[in-house]
Amino acid sequence: MRRLIEVWRSTVFQKWVMAITGVMLGGFLLAHLAGNLLIFVGADDMNAYAVELRELLHGSAIWVMRAVLVISLVLHVRAGIVLAQRNRTASGGRYAVTSYQRSTLASRSMLLTGLLILSYVLYHLAHFTFGAIHTEYYHYIDSMGRHDVYRMVVESFRQPVITILYVVAVIVTGFHLQHAIASAFQTLGINHPRYSPSIKMGGTLLSILIVIGFISVPMAIIFGLVQ
Amino acid sequence: MIMELSGRTPLGSLTDKWEKHKNELKLVNPSNKRKFSVIVVGTGLAGSSAAATLAELGYNVTAITYNDSPRRAHSIAAQGGINAAKNYQNDGDSVWRLFYDTIKGGDFRAREANVYRLAQVSGNIIDQCVAQGVPFAREYGGYLANRSFGGAQVSRTFYARGQTGQQLLLGAYQALSRQVGLGKVNLLTKKEMMDVVVVDGRAHGVVIRDLVDGKIESLTADAVLLCTGGYSNVFYLSTNAKACNVTAAYRAYKRGALFANPCFTQIHPTCIPVSGDYQSKLTLMSESLRNDGRIWVPKERGDTRLPNLIPEIERDYYLERKYPSFGNLSPRDIASRAAKEVCDDGRGVGPGGKGVYLDFADAISRLGRKVIEDRYGNLFEMYQRITGEDPYSVPMRIYPAVHYTMGGLWVDYNLMSNVNGLFVLGEANFSDHGANRLGASALMQGLADGYFIIPYTVGGYLASTGPGTHTEAVRNKAAEAVQHSEEKITRLLAINGKRTPTSFHRELGKIMWDKCGMARNEQGLQSALVEIPQLRDEFWNNLRVPGTGEELNQSLEHASRVADFLEFAELMVRDALHRKESCGGHFREEFQTEDGEAKRNDNDFTYVAAWEYNGNNAPLMHKEHLHFENVELATRSYK
Amino acid sequence: MNLRLHIWRQKEPGAQGMLKAYDVADVSEHMSFLEMLDVLNERLLENGEDPVAFEHDCREGICGTCGMVINGRPHGPEPKTTVCQLHMRSFHDGDSITIEPWRASAFPVVKDLVVDRSAFDRIVQKGGYISVNTGNAPDGNAIPVPKVNADLAMDAASCIGCGACVAACPNASAMLFTAAKIGHLHALPQGHAEKGARVYNMVLAMDDEGFGACTNHLECEAACPKGISSLFIAKLNTEFVITSLL
Repeated sequence: MRRLIEVWRSTVFQKWVMAITGVMLGGFLLAHLAGNLLIFVGADDMNAYAVELRELLHGSAIWVMRAVLVISLVLHVRAGIVLAQRNRTASGGRYAVTSYQRSTLASRSMLLTGLLILSYVLYHLAHFTFGAIHTEYYHYIDSMGRHDVYRMVVESFRQPVITILYVVAVIVTGFHLQHAIASAFQTLGINHPRYSPSIKMGGTLLSILIVIGFISVPMAIIFGLVQ
Repeated sequence: MIMELSGRTPLGSLTDKWEKHKNELKLVNPSNKRKFSVIVVGTGLAGSSAAATLAELGYNVTAITYNDSPRRAHSIAAQGGINAAKNYQNDGDSVWRLFYDTIKGGDFRAREANVYRLAQVSGNIIDQCVAQGVPFAREYGGYLANRSFGGAQVSRTFYARGQTGQQLLLGAYQALSRQVGLGKVNLLTKKEMMDVVVVDGRAHGVVIRDLVDGKIESLTADAVLLCTGGYSNVFYLSTNAKACNVTAAYRAYKRGALFANPCFTQIHPTCIPVSGDYQSKLTLMSESLRNDGRIWVPKERGDTRLPNLIPEIERDYYLERKYPSFGNLSPRDIASRAAKEVCDDGRGVGPGGKGVYLDFADAISRLGRKVIEDRYGNLFEMYQRITGEDPYSVPMRIYPAVHYTMGGLWVDYNLMSNVNGLFVLGEANFSDHGANRLGASALMQGLADGYFIIPYTVGGYLASTGPGTHTEAVRNKAAEAVQHSEEKITRLLAINGKRTPTSFHRELGKIMWDKCGMARNEQGLQSALVEIPQLRDEFWNNLRVPGTGEELNQSLEHASRVADFLEFAELMVRDALHRKESCGGHFREEFQTEDGEAKRNDNDFTYVAAWEYNGNNAPLMHKEHLHFENVELATRSYK
Repeated sequence: MNLRLHIWRQKEPGAQGMLKAYDVADVSEHMSFLEMLDVLNERLLENGEDPVAFEHDCREGICGTCGMVINGRPHGPEPKTTVCQLHMRSFHDGDSITIEPWRASAFPVVKDLVVDRSAFDRIVQKGGYISVNTGNAPDGNAIPVPKVNADLAMDAASCIGCGACVAACPNASAMLFTAAKIGHLHALPQGHAEKGARVYNMVLAMDDEGFGACTNHLECEAACPKGISSLFIAKLNTEFVITSLL
């Protein structure tokens, strides 16, 4: 038992927790993106997808997923904060002059971008999942009597404030991911001299694609491509 | 009283001596070992390996280093490799051949039995290091690789890239760290040995100074091992690390230990030359460069043209001219002296005229740049980093530099000095290399002493004497030695003159290099005997050391070491003066053949000169005559 | 060339330190960086001032004793070069150079540019070795080691323990140092018997010393004078999690 506690507390294990939970959250992000892109297919498919998601396995699937996500999120954020505190103490005052060679602004601001994303996620959930704010868009019902997700999204993004916040949050997320993807590979030990440059490049590319994917939705709405 | 020393070499045939001796040495019962304490000073190859091994056996060990970690010791800088008579190459190597090469390379001034034992245990060293995880170079089949080295006709050198010393030291350091972790070794870092506690001719401990807070204290033990390296830094500029010094050995000498053959110093021919007055140390370039490089200087004195503008006909390839059969590959001492000769003649190149060209142009046009790059790429890179010149297009400049000292404290077959319980290992002792050391043998000796010899002989000593440190006499003597060291520090701080420790060290180095360096003569040595005491006087009257003795004070550390160098230098000069022959690293200009080769005098000088401290009077010389029962004394010729 | 140096001066551990400016004139481009500091120190000594304390020993880039942060970079601007091998030709006349000690809580400043790196030794003491007593060893060729493994072990083992990795890391993490030692020993069959205990104990020791966590900035790899690869860190991560959970 003592050994388990020691392992749990170690920096290497916490980093590993960070990576695993990060991978879970990233997987969710990709699934979320796939769902969002249904908007380009049409209102019917999107709303049907929303219903299916809620009714899968008699409605239990979504709760399992939510539980996994919440646990991942809590562990991810906790590890991030614990490690950041530790690192602050360890670094023992920094230099009068700094000159970084390999680290990036993204890698050095993971805690900040992470916390920004977290606060946006809470706002985002309140808006689209729980309908606690911007309630005026939440209660639309489509012709088949389903919750009209499509219309909620389209009308929400016609509001500049919502769109700007969303775009900023997505870019911040992309920034976070840019370091996170290659970092997760390194932490999980999936690395090799032959592949590490490709992993790094792939990570950046994937982050850019994710950003473009998410932003494409409000852009399409603003420019009238999606009505 | 001048005595004839005995190396206490066991009787019997050369091949059986060590085995027989090990069988005869007394043993300490395993449960009694923890009742004995041993102090190991220095944590290089010899010190770390000895401390680790003694701790494994169960002794209470204290290991002391002046560095911040045992891993910093200068053994780490050895590049080439370590010799062992494994005969993995099936090329006819044997213990006998390694023994013979070493004793001949040492110009027949080493003790036969010690050298033979060294060759005998050489194989065990490789085994031990492999087991510790030393990443020796391997062939594709997974077996150990070898390379050849100077002075041998077989391939017996094991290596780990160009960092063999580093890897061997890390192996020993890790073995030592394991014992520290297990609580069997008390490791003291940033502590410098200031004195030995000797009572009735027996060593009982040491005095150490903490380099961070300046505290001076004594430590007592049943045996003391000095593994404190060589004294090349008496020349100020050498390839040794900056902190290397003679203090520990010299203090032991002042407490009665004999100093043997101090004039035997080795000069390495291929070092990067001095570039200015600010020069702080010299860097060695591997000897292997001479396989493809041609050494030359301009024929005309004071020719300052760029090397590429000097036509072939106006160049003097002096080694090829003087030694047609060995040419650029003539041995270290010969190549070094030849370089000095042409520079003294005013034909040296580079700043101050202290350098000769090592030219790869021919090799590059013959073999192509790629081949040269494969062979020497890392060395060329290092050269370029230091000099800023590209050796592919401009010839390298090289000059000889001091890098090893064969002399050291006198020890018997058990590696014990004439002071009972004071053992001396590695470069700090005099025992195995005679008047000249072969390449890749220093690492071998350090580890042989620490891993495979000392664990037996210290046991034999302790078993026969028993513990005996906790006496009134020892306590008194230790307190007195502490006080003595404190007084030395106080004195250094109180001079309050004008000159820095470095300026004295530099001046001493110049005297030694000019008068007791690569070539020595009566007149120069005599004048050094006048100049050194003058400089020493000035030191004690005009030194400036700022700060206090209760803090990290690097000037004070340096001053304390220079003070000992200033005394030791005189001993070295005396030894050089008395040895009226040329052998190995000791070249007396008066004793050379008609064509300028070293002329040994076996009739009068086949002995070890062991000097005894005699207060303010001249030191007394004792002799250990060397008896060669198994090899014939031959002359070295490289024409 | 003439230079202006800003050097961290700190009297003793825990004391308040500050950057102090010094002008050094007539610096030759052939000097090493440490020789340039020697010149400054000789001048300070002649003026009766306290010279700048800095550590150095072999001055050929192998002992790992020297180390200082020059304009924000451990060991200065040249890649794969220790500060003792750095030469003044890497600088220009009129340059302003800021020189600071390694900064990490686990490396407390002793004086000026000297820090206490004994934490590294203590990590090694917890498992950075192969437990073989002298005399136990079988013949050196008894266990063949594939050349690639021997080369990999050598790559990792070339660490000189200077601490530049910690100094460069924004988190002051000692992962590259620890991973290099583990990577060296685990690349060889001799190191396998104690694999689990070694990685477990060394990681815990590293944490206990107060080093930060690795967050994959990879500054360590760029600062390492021996160019040790961060891939050894990736290996350590996996080995630690697998061995400590199994």
